[in-house]
Amino acid sequence: MIKDLIFMNGYGVYVWFSFGITVFACAFLYYKTLKKLKKYEKELACKILELSEVERTAELKKSKILNQVFLNYNK
Amino acid sequence: MISSHTVITVVRNFMFNIFSTSSIFSIINKLIKFFSSLIFIALAVGLTFALLISPPDYIQKDSVRIMYVHVPSAWLSLATFSIMTLFFILNFVFKIKNLQLINYSIAPIGLLFTCLAIITGAAWGKPTWGTWWAWDARLTSMLALLFFYVLIILSLKFISPVERSLKLATLFSIIGSINIPIIKYSVDWWNTLHQPASIKFTGTSTIHSSFLVPLFLMLLVFLIFSALIFLMKYKTEIIKMKKKGLNKYD
Repeated sequence: MIKDLIFMNGYGVYVWFSFGITVFACAFLYYKTLKKLKKYEKELACKILELSEVERTAELKKSKILNQVFLNYNK
Repeated sequence: MISSHTVITVVRNFMFNIFSTSSIFSIINKLIKFFSSLIFIALAVGLTFALLISPPDYIQKDSVRIMYVHVPSAWLSLATFSIMTLFFILNFVFKIKNLQLINYSIAPIGLLFTCLAIITGAAWGKPTWGTWWAWDARLTSMLALLFFYVLIILSLKFISPVERSLKLATLFSIIGSINIPIIKYSVDWWNTLHQPASIKFTGTSTIHSSFLVPLFLMLLVFLIFSALIFLMKYKTEIIKMKKKGLNKYD
């Protein structure tokens, strides 16, 4: 059973290569995308923190998006 | 009499409301969480069907399993390019920033699936045709699609100002979209190594349900993955835009 699954009547190398490269490429894109998202979330939250109290309050009041990113980062 | 300018303004306002970043952003996080939990279940089911339950083909034997990653990749690469072209044109006419952000997020997904369609196609070609590559109409037109994706991504990434890069990307996507029907019908118009379409959306498919079920399950996995990557990239683009907006305090 396991032997059949690995060798697949001689086609195993092509089948496993196709599935392997697909999973690897997708996992790589997911990892890069997640890393980039976290980096920008952190940078934006730091930028908000760098603002003066008045500026920060005004910006957070004005934008729902800034508010959400800032709250999530501080969780 | 309604002028064309009024029509454009009305359509623009309507699309601006639909594609407004602040109205979309609040549901993005929920959707990311939902798709993240769903993808592992869908992947487990899809792979079980594709690698274990699906029977070998009577001619192609087990190499037919490559279809479960090759065909969804090819379909998504074409669909992504078509959507991207439509959004580039809409953005060119109505100048909606959000469509631009959507295209920035879609393009890498399309590039990934085009590469996967070509690579897995080569891995399927070797045992069935005896060669990894042939300058056949379907394969060559897919390679042309890959070049268009690369041109669009490079122009979005490296050309400035933004207006110029968008114009160039729109031009490439319009020229590239001529290639989409060529890819689709290449197997009917020319005598190619690549087999004609077995799955028809209009008419009867010439493929048995024991192959169709794993194929559509894997398509679902690819769709969920695309949605997840798109949402994460789109969220990143919105955050980048907001960060730029705070530069006024520097």
